[in-house]
Order: sequence, then C-alpha cells, then structure tokens
Amino acid sequence: MDDKQQPDGIVLTEAQKRSRRHRSVAIALALGVLVVLFFAVTMVKGPGVLVRPL
Amino acid sequence: MSVVDHNAIDVLPRISEAEVGDYIALLKPRVMSLVIFTALVGLVIAPGHIHPVLAFTAILCIAVGAGASGAMNMAYEGDIDALMSRTANRPIPRGRITSGEAMAFGLILAFFSVLTLGILVNLLAGALLAFTIFFYVVVYTMWLKRWTAQNIVIGGAAGALPPVVAWAAATGSLSMEPWLLFLIIFFWTPPHFWALALFRSDDYARAGVPMLPVVAGPDATRLQILLYTIVLVAIAVAPWPLGYFDAVYGVTSLLLGAGMMWLAINVYRHREGKQAVRATRRLFAFSILYLFALFATLLLEVVIRAVMPLIG
Repeated sequence: MDDKQQPDGIVLTEAQKRSRRHRSVAIALALGVLVVLFFAVTMVKGPGVLVRPL
Repeated sequence: MSVVDHNAIDVLPRISEAEVGDYIALLKPRVMSLVIFTALVGLVIAPGHIHPVLAFTAILCIAVGAGASGAMNMAYEGDIDALMSRTANRPIPRGRITSGEAMAFGLILAFFSVLTLGILVNLLAGALLAFTIFFYVVVYTMWLKRWTAQNIVIGGAAGALPPVVAWAAATGSLSMEPWLLFLIIFFWTPPHFWALALFRSDDYARAGVPMLPVVAGPDATRLQILLYTIVLVAIAVAPWPLGYFDAVYGVTSLLLGAGMMWLAINVYRHREGKQAVRATRRLFAFSILYLFALFATLLLEVVIRAVMPLIG
C-alpha cells in the first residue's frame, strides 16, 4: 500500500496563492476605504446624513 | 469504481492567477483619468459650496462608475478585442481574466458606486451615474457598437455625462452650464474616434466592427470629421457670447478651435500616403489636448478667482 497520501481537493500553485493573496489585500483595502468614506461623510453631515435632497 | 469521474477532472474549476494590475486594466485607467478630469471641472464650476469630503466622494464614485463601465465593456467585447492589435493585450484576450469574472467585477463596482453616490451625496447624482453606466454598457456596447456606424456618435453621450453627474452632485439640480459641457464632449467624440478609426480601420474591419471608415469609406469619414469639427468649434465657443463662461475661456476656445479646424481640414485634404496618416494621427492627438485645455481653462478661471482675494 502506498504511504504517500494524495492531498484532498485542489492544491494551489505558488503563483495562484500569491495572486490570490494580492487580490485579497486589494479587496480588504477597497472595503476599508468604503468604511472610512461612510464614516467621514457621517461626521461631515452629522444627523442630516439621511437627508438626501433631490 | 472511482468516486471522481475522469471526465470531471478535465473540467476542474479554473484557478485564477490574475493580479491586481489586471483588474486595474479592466477599469480603463486612461479613459478614467479623462472622466475624472471632466467631472472635476463640472464639480468646481458649479455654484455654491460642497464640502471637500463630499466632493471627493462624488469624484471617487464617478471614477469607479466609469471603471465599472469599462470592465463590463471589456467583458462583452473579449471576442472583438482579441482581433484588434490595439486591444489584444487586454486582460481578457490574454486569458488573465474570464469574461464572467470581468462582468461580475464591473457589476459589483457599478452597484456600489451608484449606491454610495446616491446615499452619501444625493439621489439625482446617483440616478444620473446609473443612467450613464446603463447607456455605456447596454445602449453603446451591447446594442450600437456592432450594429451601426453611428455607434460612437450616440454612444458618445455616455462619455459626455460625467460633468453633468458632478454638477448634480454639487448642486442637487441641473442647469444650462453642465449641458454645455455635455454638448462639447458629445460633439468632440466623433472627430476624435473617427480620426483613430481612420488609421486603425484594418483592425476594425478584421473585427467586424462597423466603424464609419469601414462602412462608408475613408473619404466620407473625412467629410464627417470636418462637419462635426465645425459644429464642435461653434458649440465650444458659444458659451462665451451667450454669457455662461467669460472672455478668457472664449479666446482660448477660439484659438484651440482654430487648431482643430486646421487639422480637420488637413485630414480632409490629404487622402493618400504618409501625409494622410500623419494628418489623422495629428488630429487624434490634438483632439485630446483640445478637450483637456478647454476644460483646464474653466478650472483655472475658478482657481484664480478663488485665489485672487487671498492675494489681495
């Protein structure tokens, strides 16, 4: 019987792992910017943040 | 009996190796930079005061919305892009990103840019941005581009809307001035893109895109470029005598318009050989400078008016 077990599922190559890590960081940064943006505008508008004039 | 069907191994999920740069390329950064600039002008010349944080938010949302449109455009045009030398290096033809991934990326960015602009700035601006994205992706990309030689004439409306969106973001309403900026970009688009299409007509013909030089021939295109340039120059100068923009803008517009006219006449006159190619390339390059300088003049006027009282 073969002692070496095949790993389960899909095994990513180094290039795939690296690009996925970079994409994850970019998504994290984009979401962070969105949070900061909403926070900053809430501070600027104060209680009027939900007043959206046409 | 194997648990995994051997045929299924051939269709294992594709693991992406796309880098962040590939996704940035989907946003068409050069187009985005022109959108940001024209939107900034629309925002700055608008009357009243907008808080810098809201101004930044508006420009960011317009830029991301433009990028989203670019991504969805590339998702739909992967087949055409692969056939043209100018676009063959884009992420989808190179196999870095699939059309589905690009479409999902574009849709998500479009959704968030419209939602953010609508919630944080105002609903009119959000609605106008949504319409701009819809017009570029559905009306231009999916419908007009492969159907009619008037594709870039009608589709140009999408590229002309950013200053209108920005004006709406600043004021919460619309008036004549942003529509003047819209008309300038709208009538600038045909001479600009037809000049490009003249020296890239082989590319467009190979891809089966019915650009004017491919459908009507180079001579008819040269005439159309000249006619649209005459209308463009007149419309670009008009805000001065009509009293919307002042004399500095008017004189700059006249000088730049003279340059555009001269180059458009050269394109019309030189129809063969290297001179013809040189004339179209010059018009294409100058048209970018023309639009940039025209809008930069409006921007500078506002900056100078703001700075003068500080200097005394």
